[in-house]
Amino acid sequence: MTVLDSPAGHAVPAAPRQGLVPVFVRLKLTLLRNGLRQSSGRRAVYITSLVVTLLFAAGQVAGLVALRGHAQAETLVVLLTAVVALGWAVMPLFFPSGDETLDPSRLVMLPLRPRPLIGALLVSSLIGIGPLFTLALALGSVIAVARGATAVVVAFVAVPVTLLVCVALARSVATANVRLLTSRKGRDLALLSGLVIAVGIQFVNFAAQRLGRAGGLSSLEPLADVVRWLPPASALGAVGSASEGAYGAAAGQLLLSVLALGALVGLWQRSLSKLMTSPDGSTIAAAGRDAGSERSGLFARFPEGRTGTVMERSLRYVARDPKTKATWVAALAIGLIVPVLNAVQGSGSVYLACFAAGMLGMQMYNQFGQDTSAFWMVALSISSSRDAYAELRARALALLLITLPYTVLVTAVTAAVLGDWAALPASMGLSLALLGAMLATGAVASALFPYSIPQEGAFKNVAPGQAGLAWISILGGMVASALLCAPVIGLTVWLHGADLRGWLWLLLPVGAVYGTFVGWLGVRLAATRAAARLPEILTAVSKG
Amino acid sequence: MPEQTDITGGASTAGGASTAPPAVRVQGLWKRFGDQVAVSGIDLELPAGKFIGLVGPNGAGKTTTLSMVTGLLRPDMGSIEVGGHDVWRDPVAVKARIGVLPEGLRLFERLSGRELLAYTGRLRGLPGVEVDKRTTQLLDVLDLAGAQHKLVVDYSTGMRKKIGLAAALLHNPEVLFLDEPFEGVDPVSAQTIRGVLERYTRSGATVVFSSHVMELVESLCDWVAVMAAGRIRARGTLAEVRGDAPSLQDAFLELVGAGARDTGQSLDWLGGAR
Repeated sequence: MTVLDSPAGHAVPAAPRQGLVPVFVRLKLTLLRNGLRQSSGRRAVYITSLVVTLLFAAGQVAGLVALRGHAQAETLVVLLTAVVALGWAVMPLFFPSGDETLDPSRLVMLPLRPRPLIGALLVSSLIGIGPLFTLALALGSVIAVARGATAVVVAFVAVPVTLLVCVALARSVATANVRLLTSRKGRDLALLSGLVIAVGIQFVNFAAQRLGRAGGLSSLEPLADVVRWLPPASALGAVGSASEGAYGAAAGQLLLSVLALGALVGLWQRSLSKLMTSPDGSTIAAAGRDAGSERSGLFARFPEGRTGTVMERSLRYVARDPKTKATWVAALAIGLIVPVLNAVQGSGSVYLACFAAGMLGMQMYNQFGQDTSAFWMVALSISSSRDAYAELRARALALLLITLPYTVLVTAVTAAVLGDWAALPASMGLSLALLGAMLATGAVASALFPYSIPQEGAFKNVAPGQAGLAWISILGGMVASALLCAPVIGLTVWLHGADLRGWLWLLLPVGAVYGTFVGWLGVRLAATRAAARLPEILTAVSKG
Repeated sequence: MPEQTDITGGASTAGGASTAPPAVRVQGLWKRFGDQVAVSGIDLELPAGKFIGLVGPNGAGKTTTLSMVTGLLRPDMGSIEVGGHDVWRDPVAVKARIGVLPEGLRLFERLSGRELLAYTGRLRGLPGVEVDKRTTQLLDVLDLAGAQHKLVVDYSTGMRKKIGLAAALLHNPEVLFLDEPFEGVDPVSAQTIRGVLERYTRSGATVVFSSHVMELVESLCDWVAVMAAGRIRARGTLAEVRGDAPSLQDAFLELVGAGARDTGQSLDWLGGAR
C-alpha cells in the first residue's frame, strides 16, 4: 500500500483540490511554450502543423455543415468519429513521448491523490492540436446532424463527451502500455510505425476505390448501424436519433458514451496507480528457462557448420530486428499487393508477379550493412574465399527459404485471379531467373558497395554521406539484374511473338536452371571480393 | 616512413627472461586517417604467456593498433605476426589463434546471450555439442546463466563485456586481445572478468588488453607497453617501465609528458579567500 492507496489522513498534506486543474493547465502551457522556445525548427514544425490542422479542421467543418440535411450525413458522421477515435487509441503506441505533463513517472514523488490527479490530467490533455481537431469534427458533425430543440440539447452534451472519450481513450491506452512504450520493445514498435502507415495507406486507397465503384456511402450503412452504438460515435449517433424523434435510442446512445467515459477514466486511474506504486519491470532480471538444446523446430533441420548457423541467425534477425523486419514485411506486402491488386482491377498480367521476386531479391543487397558493426564477428571468422562463399551462400539460402514459396504463391494467386493458368509456368520461370539475378547482383553489391544502416529512426535506412552509394548499388544492381535476365526475357518474348505459346512451359525449367546458375556465379564472385575486402567492409558498415 | 621509436624502457628483446617466440611481433606499423596520423611507426614484440597491458591516454592509438593487429583494420604500412604467422598473408592460421573483444563495435544483439555464443562457436567451426558444453560453462563462470535467454540488446554494459569475453574465449585462442575490457564495468563484474583472465593466462595463453586505468594495469599485468600520440614510449616488465617512480601512474604521466603539468598560478583563486 502506498500514498496513492492510503485513506485520506492528516499525515499527507493534501494539495488544494480546486487548485490542481489550473496548475496542470498552466504547467502544460508553460511546457509547450518552453518546448517551442528551444529551437526555431521545432517552432516552425509546430506552427506549420497547427496551421495545417486548422485549415483541415475548417474545411471539415465547412464540409460537414454543407452536408446538413443530406440523407447519409449521419452515416458519414459516425464513421468519421469512429475512425478518429481509432486514431486516438493507436496514436500513443507509435508516438509515445508526446506529453511531459502527463508522464506519470514525473509525478510520482508528489503527494497527489489519483482522483483529482486524473481530473487535472484529463483537462490538461484537452490542450493541443489533436483535441482541437477532434472538437472541430464533433462540432461540424452535430451541425450536420442536429435538427430540433431536443437534438440541440443532446448535442451540447454529446460534443464534450465525444472529445473526452477520445482523450481518455488515448491516455488510458498510453498509461496501460507505458511499460511497453518506454522499453526497448516499445522503441522497436515505433520503428514499425512507418510500415503500418505505408500498408494502411494501401488499404485505405483500395477501400476508397471500391467505395467509389460500389455506389458511395450507402454501401457502408450496415457498418454505420453498428458503429452508431459504439462510443464515442454513439454520442453523435444520439444527436441523430434525437433529430429523428427516437428519444429512447438517443438516451441509450448518450448513456453508452458517458459510461464508456467513466470506464476509461476508471481504467486509466487504476493503471496509473499501479504504475506509480509498483517497481519498474525492466530492473527485474528475466527468469532463465531450462538450458536445453539450442536448436528447435525448423532450425534443428539446418545443416551443421557455417551454412546452418548463418541461416539460423539471418532468419532470427528477420523476426527480431525491427529494421530488418520492417523491410521484409514491406517487401512481402508490396510484392503481393502490386500484382494481385492490378489483377483484381483487371489491368494486370501474370508476368507482374515477377515483381514479388524483385522486391524480395532486394533483401540480398547490403547484407553486411544489415549486420551493423557486429560484422566484425563475421569478419574474424572468415579467413578465405571459401569461408566467404559459405557465408554468402547461407545468407542467400535463408532468403530463398522465404522467397521461393512466396514467389510460387504470388504467381499462383495472380494467375488464379486472372484465370490465366497457361502463362503460370512462364511467369514462374521468369521470376526464378530474376530472383537468381537479384541474388547474384545483391551479393556482389554487398561486397563492393556496403553501407551503414542507422539503427534509430523508422525512415532512415542509409547513414549520412552514404546515400549515393546505396542508390548506385541498388539502381545499378537492378539494371544489371534486368540485363542478366535478358536471355530468359528474350526467350519469353520470342515464344509469344513466334506464336509458340504451346512451348511456354519450357520457361519454367529454363528459368530455374538459369536463375540457379547466375545466382551461384554471383555469390562465387562476391565471395572472392568480400574475403579480400573485410576491413573495408567493416569500416563502411560501422558508421551507423 | 617507419622510424625508430624512442624506447625508454628496458631491453629491446622481450622484457622477460623467456626465450619463447613472441606472441605478437609488429614492425613499422603506420596508420593515417586523412591528415591525422593515428599510429606512426610502431615496432613491438609482445612476449608469449604474459598478461600484457597496452596503456596510454585517450587518442594514443591503442584501439587503432589493436584493430590492425587483429585484422579488423588494414594498416597503411608495416607487418604484423601473431604466433609467427603474418596477419594479412596467412589469415587462416591467425584467425584461428586469436580471440578479440573490440571496443565500440556492436555484437549481434538480437540474439540471446546463449544464442550469440552458439552462433560464434559454430561460426568458428567447433562441433555443436562442444559449443553447447563450453557455452554452459562460460555462462556459469561469468555469472550470466540467469540472463542467458535475454536478448543481448537488453544487457547492461558489464553483461555485454562479459558475453563479449565469453565469445572471444569460446574457441580457446592462444592470444586474447581485449580493448578496454573494464570500461563501464561494475566492480563485481570486473572481478569476475579478472578471475577468468588470470586463470586463462596461467594456462600459458597470452592476454593483451588496453586500458587507461593505471591501478588496474599495475595490479594485473606483468608486462606493459606505454603508448602516446601513435608511438610506443616504453615497454618491458612492470618493474622496468615503472623504474624509480613510486607508481605506474607517476611513471606513465612522466612518459607521456603530462607529469610536469601543474596547475601553477592559473587557478590560484580556487579555494582562496571568498
